[in-house]
Amino acid sequence: MNRLVLKYGRPLTAVILAVFAWVIYRRIAGGDEIIPVAIAAAIVWGLGAPAFIYLWPRLTVSGYKRAILKHGFGDGPVPVNTLHAVPNTSSPSASRGSLMATGADDLLYVGGWLDLRKGPQVLHVPNMAGRYFSVQFTDPSKGANFAYVGKRTTGTGAGDYVLSAPGWKGTVPNGMTQIFSPTDSALVIGRVLVESDGDLPIAYALAKQIQLAPLKH
Amino acid sequence: MVNAFAWFSQSGIVQGLILGAVLAFLTAILIMNAVGRAITTTASGWSAIRRCGQPGNGVLVRAACAKALPVVNVFEEAAYWTTTVDGSGQTLSGGHGYVLHFPAGKLPPNDAFWSLTPTDVVGYMVTNPTNRYSVGDRSPLARNADGSVDIYLQHQAPGTHEQNWLSTPSGKFKLMFRVYLPGAAILDGTYQLPRVVRAW
Repeated sequence: MNRLVLKYGRPLTAVILAVFAWVIYRRIAGGDEIIPVAIAAAIVWGLGAPAFIYLWPRLTVSGYKRAILKHGFGDGPVPVNTLHAVPNTSSPSASRGSLMATGADDLLYVGGWLDLRKGPQVLHVPNMAGRYFSVQFTDPSKGANFAYVGKRTTGTGAGDYVLSAPGWKGTVPNGMTQIFSPTDSALVIGRVLVESDGDLPIAYALAKQIQLAPLKH
Repeated sequence: MVNAFAWFSQSGIVQGLILGAVLAFLTAILIMNAVGRAITTTASGWSAIRRCGQPGNGVLVRAACAKALPVVNVFEEAAYWTTTVDGSGQTLSGGHGYVLHFPAGKLPPNDAFWSLTPTDVVGYMVTNPTNRYSVGDRSPLARNADGSVDIYLQHQAPGTHEQNWLSTPSGKFKLMFRVYLPGAAILDGTYQLPRVVRAW
């Protein structure tokens, strides 16, 4: 669908505008009133364009949310607060239209939807021993990446990170690092470097260990 | 009441609402595309958007980024460049051969990896018989005598330099260059990718 829209966006737009022009022409030719149409259209147009722009990041991220929770990455739906590691790198045959279809073929992707309404979650990452990896947390209202765990920001050692919603007042256990989420949900995308074909099983074993679990009291 | 309903359906208000909503959608797309172009930086034919994914972006930049590069990494995590044209501005096509020449010591600086992937114009990889869909820092690329590296981009096997050959789609195509954990010279803008030069 998306692919078709990208490919035929311009002709589609031309067809839609031509239909509109024809409808308006028929109204005028038929002697019907045109003023109410014009006023209604102008109001919706003027209010709707900024609304679409404002909502676009939210619509985009909710597309990913729906895809993860309803369809998953080829192995069925992925429940909230569960991270799913995709076992293969991107390739031409790896399901077009999947989340990783345009991805890099040197990375394994990990994805999930974080929901903090029932309390904080703990992100566990294994010891990556210098290997490149990252876990990106994206705010669903703005599409901004508010936090990263990974080689650049936290290093490649094993670690546990407490993700808390705004207003959470509990205490973070010793040895864990708190990450303040600006919203009570977030898109989670993990990436783990695959050095070579032979390295794939090792990278996948590590990617599967990047997991979420509820914070125990 | 019945009169009001009759007037409502006759007046064309519903048509107006539909018309306005579709025009609003198209206008939003046009504005987001325009903002997307405005925040895109292009050098030697390669385009990148450095501002996406950052907390603190304004409404327009957020929307343009969500449209152009949804949920993309911040630039300091991963630098992405794309191009659909060669160094002289001509559309990339599988009917031609291209060379990407990195002078000695000028492969992209990074703390993770880099890779170059040809895709169709939408961004999907296209099946090719070599089963090689990208080259990068882990590829066994041959160096020239002076230490420089040439990457050959063409649909058919070049006959020579196969070690440095990446098969492109047979039609129009796009190149995606990724540098994860880009080095300081990329972040401050002093490093630039070389032009894609058409060889034949």
